[in-house]
Amino acid sequence: MGALAAAIAVGLAALGAGLGNGMIVSRTVEGIARQPELRGPLQTTMFIGVALVEAIPIFAVVIAFMVMGQ
Amino acid sequence: MQYDNMITRQRKWMFYLLAVIVLGAGLTPYPRIFLGLLLGASLSFYNLWLMQRKIKQFGQAIVENRSAKGIGSFTRLATAALAVLIALRFEEHFHLMAVIIGLVAYYFVIMMDFALFRSRD
Repeated sequence: MGALAAAIAVGLAALGAGLGNGMIVSRTVEGIARQPELRGPLQTTMFIGVALVEAIPIFAVVIAFMVMGQ
Repeated sequence: MQYDNMITRQRKWMFYLLAVIVLGAGLTPYPRIFLGLLLGASLSFYNLWLMQRKIKQFGQAIVENRSAKGIGSFTRLATAALAVLIALRFEEHFHLMAVIIGLVAYYFVIMMDFALFRSRD
């Protein structure tokens, strides 16, 4: 049951992160393609967005390995 | 450029944090906690460096109209898994909760940097 719990935790978190990252990346590509001179600010916003989105799957991986290790 | 200034500042903050943790591991009576923090913060620094590098390459690829090669999400998740595996395998040296707190050190660095330098750039 521990492996199942770990798989569900990581899988759902990665699903959410994938959707979030996809939205961030698509908007950034759109923005830089329209106005290449705004690359710096857009990259900074993308950096912070990707970092925040990936917090949850990282915690999910940690919790999954803790569950499997017990 | 704004992005380059930001990544330089963030690396500087991470180096300061690592230096403080090393001092804590050497000088305080809690080496297990500080070694855990050191392990987590080192892998956190790797995550930060990888994310900065990948996003810079990504922006460069868009400007040059090339196809981008991903932003390294899977590698960052694998780094978190590696930290937990090391902490579970060598439990007598590393405190697990300290490893997890160290692993999220780069979020504190990013947020502090964003809050402090948002108006300057």
